[in-house]
Amino acid sequence: MKTVFINGSPKKRLSASSYFLFLQRLFVGGEKVSETLRTPADHGRILAQLDDAQAVVFCLPLYVDAVPSHVLRFMEEMQAYCTQRGLHLAVYCIANNGFIEGRQNEPLMQVFEHFCTRSGLTWGGGVGIGGGVMLNVTRILFVVDIALLVVNTVLSVARTGSLFSPDAWVSFGTNAALLLYFNLGVLFYLARMGSAIRKGAPCGKKYTRILIPSFVFILFADIFFVIISLFQGGLFRGWLAKKAYEER
Amino acid sequence: MKVILHDLGPEYHALIESKCNHALVADGRYAPCQGCFGCWTKHPAACFMKDKLQQVCRIIGQADEIEIVTKNLYGEYSTAVKNVLDRSIGTSTPLSTYRGRQMHHTLRYGKHDMWRVVVYGETSEAERETFRYLAERNAINDGFARSEVVFISSLTELEELL
Repeated sequence: MKTVFINGSPKKRLSASSYFLFLQRLFVGGEKVSETLRTPADHGRILAQLDDAQAVVFCLPLYVDAVPSHVLRFMEEMQAYCTQRGLHLAVYCIANNGFIEGRQNEPLMQVFEHFCTRSGLTWGGGVGIGGGVMLNVTRILFVVDIALLVVNTVLSVARTGSLFSPDAWVSFGTNAALLLYFNLGVLFYLARMGSAIRKGAPCGKKYTRILIPSFVFILFADIFFVIISLFQGGLFRGWLAKKAYEER
Repeated sequence: MKVILHDLGPEYHALIESKCNHALVADGRYAPCQGCFGCWTKHPAACFMKDKLQQVCRIIGQADEIEIVTKNLYGEYSTAVKNVLDRSIGTSTPLSTYRGRQMHHTLRYGKHDMWRVVVYGETSEAERETFRYLAERNAINDGFARSEVVFISSLTELEELL
């Protein structure tokens, strides 16, 4: 069985979609091919992968409540390609948005259902994830956590001659457990969808989110944007101002 | 101010321009949004791409009423129209709030009146339902008080609708 994973994020690296795609791949067996969809130049390469595939997993961000335009452009071509060649793949979708409610991905899921209907493809279902950006940050924090463990172990060897530093491992374990907890909803539903992909079965639409209270999430999201805007300078360029249109 | 965003050919441009204060033509020749958030964090309400959509959020943001004329594509806007909408998120700020009992961004230009969509092209009943739902979501997200979706079977109906 061959499954094609399509990363529909326009970002070159470290996108939230690439993180969820990585997680979904862990729960799917057989031949797995990952492709990035950023420009029309990617279309031919991805479409060629569909010929002998049984399932396609779109992994993409929510843009203005629906599918981003560059992915829509690909879907139009994919419809023509699949219709022409009589392909009847199963289509699954992992959508993520920056807001905390995963359910805000519902219109996007419906668009994929209609795409499947028009293309003669089988709609397998999807997972809508809220707090995608912040969940993506947890993977970076996990890498930082590992780096800290290595540094503390080296310091422990230098100070006591022992490779095992209990404090470093307790700190690492606590942080890792917390990060894992934030991701539990996503892991559960991606594991569930992975099982459906393996069986070629439908799994319906499910919505989940980062597992923290909404008001805490909003506070952290605001702090995140203040810090980014501070470093990028937007904070000092009329950050919240009603900018007037300037004729050029 | 009334803004019309459309994906129609040049033969409709005069009609559209006569019906609004600002017409935005989605001709499919613009680069798509790169998801960098620069229009929030680096150069507020402007895109780093220096094309005709660089300040499109400033036009949409100041509209009391927006009308979107679009061909149906799976219950969503056409690729060309969606390209313009994706490039317009600078209408909001990076800060968050609750609107319609869900998280959304605060509005850079305050509240608006009507988000109206005119859909042409063959559309199934299920796609119509999605379009109504999508327009409702867009209206909440962008701070419009009302949303409406009209489906037309022919573009000849356009003149009396706008």
